[in-house]
Amino acid sequence: MIQLSHLQKVYSGGQGGFRALADVDLTLPAGEFVAIVGKSGSGKSTLLNLVAGIDRPTSGTVHVAGTPVHALGESALAAWRGRHVGVVFQSFQLLPTLTVLENVMLPMDFCATLPVARARVRAMELLEEVGVADQAPKLPSSLSGGQQQRAAIARALANDPALLVADEPTGNLDSQTAETVVRLLADLARQGKTVLMVTHEKDLSAWADRIVTLADGRVAGQRQTKNQPAGAAAEPSHA
Amino acid sequence: MRRLPIPPRWKKLLQDLRAEKSRLILMLAAIAVSLLAVGAVMGAFAVLSREIGVNYLGTRPASATLEIPAGVDGRVLEVARSQPGIAVAEGRDVLQARARVGEDWRPLLLFVVEDFRALQVNTFTPTAGAWPPPPGGMLVERTAVPVLAAGLGGRVRVRTAHGPGVELPVSGLVHDPGLAPATQERSGYGYIARETLPLLGEPAVLHELRITLADAQAGLPAIEACAAGLAKALEAEGREVHEIRVPPPRQHPHQRQMQTILFMMLAFSFMALGLSGVLVATSLSAMLARQVREIGVMKTLGATASQLAGMYAALVAALGAVAVVAALPAGYGGAQVLAGAIADLLNFTLTARGVPWWVYAVQAAAGILVPLAVAALPIRQATRLSVRQAIERHGASADALGALSPRLPWPLRNALRRPARLALTVVLLAGGGAMFMTALNVSAGWERNVAKVYETRHYDIEVRFHEAQPETVAEAIQGLPGVRAVEAWGYSPSAFSRPGQVDVVRTYPDRGHASFSVMAPPPGTQLIRFPVLAGRWLREDDRDAVVLNHTAAAARPGLRIGDPLNLSLGGKATTWRLAGIVEEIGSPGAAYVTDHAFARLAGTRGRARLLRIATEATTPEVRQHRIRAIERKLAEVGAGVETAWPLAELRTAMADHISILIRSLAAMAVVIATVGALGLSSTMGTSVLERTREFAVMKTLGATPARVTRQVVQEALFMGALSWVAALLLSVPLTAWLDALIGRLGFVAPLPFILSAGPMALWLGILGLVTLAATLLPARRAASLSVAEALVRL
Ligand SMILES: Nc1ncnc2c1ncn2[C@@H]1O[C@H](COP(=O)(O)OP(=O)(O)OP(=O)(O)O)[C@@H](O)[C@H]1O
Ligand SMILES: [Mg+2]
Repeated sequence: MIQLSHLQKVYSGGQGGFRALADVDLTLPAGEFVAIVGKSGSGKSTLLNLVAGIDRPTSGTVHVAGTPVHALGESALAAWRGRHVGVVFQSFQLLPTLTVLENVMLPMDFCATLPVARARVRAMELLEEVGVADQAPKLPSSLSGGQQQRAAIARALANDPALLVADEPTGNLDSQTAETVVRLLADLARQGKTVLMVTHEKDLSAWADRIVTLADGRVAGQRQTKNQPAGAAAEPSHA
Repeated sequence: MRRLPIPPRWKKLLQDLRAEKSRLILMLAAIAVSLLAVGAVMGAFAVLSREIGVNYLGTRPASATLEIPAGVDGRVLEVARSQPGIAVAEGRDVLQARARVGEDWRPLLLFVVEDFRALQVNTFTPTAGAWPPPPGGMLVERTAVPVLAAGLGGRVRVRTAHGPGVELPVSGLVHDPGLAPATQERSGYGYIARETLPLLGEPAVLHELRITLADAQAGLPAIEACAAGLAKALEAEGREVHEIRVPPPRQHPHQRQMQTILFMMLAFSFMALGLSGVLVATSLSAMLARQVREIGVMKTLGATASQLAGMYAALVAALGAVAVVAALPAGYGGAQVLAGAIADLLNFTLTARGVPWWVYAVQAAAGILVPLAVAALPIRQATRLSVRQAIERHGASADALGALSPRLPWPLRNALRRPARLALTVVLLAGGGAMFMTALNVSAGWERNVAKVYETRHYDIEVRFHEAQPETVAEAIQGLPGVRAVEAWGYSPSAFSRPGQVDVVRTYPDRGHASFSVMAPPPGTQLIRFPVLAGRWLREDDRDAVVLNHTAAAARPGLRIGDPLNLSLGGKATTWRLAGIVEEIGSPGAAYVTDHAFARLAGTRGRARLLRIATEATTPEVRQHRIRAIERKLAEVGAGVETAWPLAELRTAMADHISILIRSLAAMAVVIATVGALGLSSTMGTSVLERTREFAVMKTLGATPARVTRQVVQEALFMGALSWVAALLLSVPLTAWLDALIGRLGFVAPLPFILSAGPMALWLGILGLVTLAATLLPARRAASLSVAEALVRL
């Protein structure tokens, strides 16, 4: 599903720039819930951005489901992102002037995947799925953080992307709410989505099928947890 | 579904607009106001261009007029009509007569026709009364009614060079779009039949042969060649041709003025529209700056840069479209008002008031495309940001904080946080300010030039005689009470002559527009003192020296001091040498020579064709009294007066001529000041809104609301001051350009260059007031928000 090879990212500025990622090689199978962990500044967000096509690598290649993401032009990249990647932000980033429902409809509008009326129906279904259907006609500002993040996940799912990326999706939530959100992501992975999540919290990474550890812009370790993608048990083992 | 299925991205745009309502109204107002000006000017131009065809060309103006001293008879007409290229030939005459109005005599141009029912050139149309007039009756041009104080059914006492004067009934009124309005020219216009001439004591002879060419589009050279050919043919028949008059073909005497006025107004309107575009760009870039993060989010959701650019472009286009819809009817109204005012200046009757479709089309295109073009850059910038850049950027972060020195004063640093927006705002205000100051500077230059009429002339009454008088008339006048000084001048209508050819002049049938004469003041005249532009003024011992005024010199470009110059005096070719060029504001072309040289060459018995008189009169009433006394005295000594008029009339006539221009400049200044003020309000409102959170932070650090307010106001004042300086600098070349343009139009010379302090101060005042109004309110509001509220806002 995701193939990164010789991936480098150097941020310009300062003397010679700052190397955030140094020669990352990583292959992740489809349908897994992957947690990326590491110390602050280790390059987690950078890696996620490169995979989602939000930023461009300095060198190296990014292939997602066979698509050479690093080689796409701006417009093609935007279109690809809209269709094949769902992005979940730490601070939700629902557009404040649109209702929750309209926020979820937005990606279908931009990518012209469904006409407005059918997009509305699908958006309602998605909100139902993440459990905030009753909030659909409200403006995001009147929702709680957890509700907003669920709506944001519904929005990320709008075009039925195969890949979901989430950079500290629980960073702004209390631990209980955070757990329900991560559980939702784990469910999605179980339904066949590839989910890539950056997190700081050990507890939460335990929900993942695989944990990738970054240190100083390199992959420092990678291990599979005991959670089996097809496993019946939903509870993580607190190893 | 109850609601219309609006795609969510358009829904978002609509919601954003709702949030920006007041700024949106400002943008709309600015575009609409400048579009209104564009529409009014272009509409007026279209209507007037059409009416020139209907009104002026409808009179079938003569291509050329041949002055034939022996008169136009059947044979002359026969010869003319048999000439190739000539479509129509008709005999006419124009007499400089006088009309009694109350106790005074006023100039009256008397147009004499052979047959009112068979007019073929320079036609006019009856508007009231008899047509044709009964024998002995006179028709009066409608604009001359107030000048003559006599309407239909009234009687006017008319005197010509040879008769004692006779009362003629006004038997009808006519409209003659070939003449400038009588009220502006301060002269009556009357029309009589040839048979009426003996009644006035004049021979029943028409001295003018007027022709039109078969080729309606013939240019000056073709017309002159044709007229010269006719003159030769007539001379071969023993008919002398004294002079050929070829006014600019197909061009109303005031047409060039009209076109220049409209061109200038159009230039100003488009500049105002450009400024509105800048205003839209400024406001839009502020709006985009606040939406940068949302733009980033939309991009991660799959929006391409072109989709997003399309959204904002659609917004700007919609804004332009709404402004167009608002401005179209208003522009139509403005066009009617403006066209009406200029039609009065041209003595036109607007036969149709419709504005052609292309005016609306240009307005619509300009209203939508100009803002779009100006807004393209900020839209492009905002939508091209990479997703990461967009998401990382917050509210009012700086574009170029790195370049800011902490040593700069705080208001300046704040203003510099967004150099692009600062630049746009300063351009907007500087452009508006420069145009505002320029408009008022040019008005001042105009006033200054009109004042020169008095400063260079030290007489207040001018008397012209039908024939040269002995110089003793001056002594007779000198003895009258209240008369300070009198000078007797030689004078003759003239032409730049070419040896062996009939003189060709550009004079219009009213004998005034584009005329040229020779003036012979006594040596050491005390009554005029014109600034010398080149060479020198006349000396007593000059024999063949001639000094041209700048209007005459402009007709002979390339002429140098010392060059020989041929002038025709009473039909005789005379040769002179150019000694100097002077600036004479407010007169047609004139050549000055010494009185003794003039008397010798013109062969006049006496020298006095013209008296210039300085009286002690300080009011028009007293002056009119003096004129009456002078007229009585002249009648006593038997001197036939052609005209006697106060100098003040010259100034009034001149002010009237293009006063509409000055008023339109002032109107443009107001339009531009409005757009500029709207721009400043918009920018300041934005910058306050953007920094609501920052103010909250300042307040948590202990800043009082007053302090927050002060900071915002200081920043706005800094921008205003910067733009004021830029406006001042910009107004210098702009004023010089317009002074040259308008001066050439009105006076054949650039207006004096004046940078008046008044407009500078006025603009500074406007800026200050608008700045305070535009910042105090939002700043107060921002300052009074509680910290928590403010932090929620962004
Ligand atoms: N736009 C940028 N310009 C320059 N350097 C950057 C930029 N973004 C990140 N960096 C640097 O690159 C390194 C990796 O950043 P990254 O955001 O990927 O870290 P992270 O692992 O996500 O950290 P955190 O857990 O704090 O979010 C950091 O040292 C950071 O300072
Ligand atoms: Mg991070």
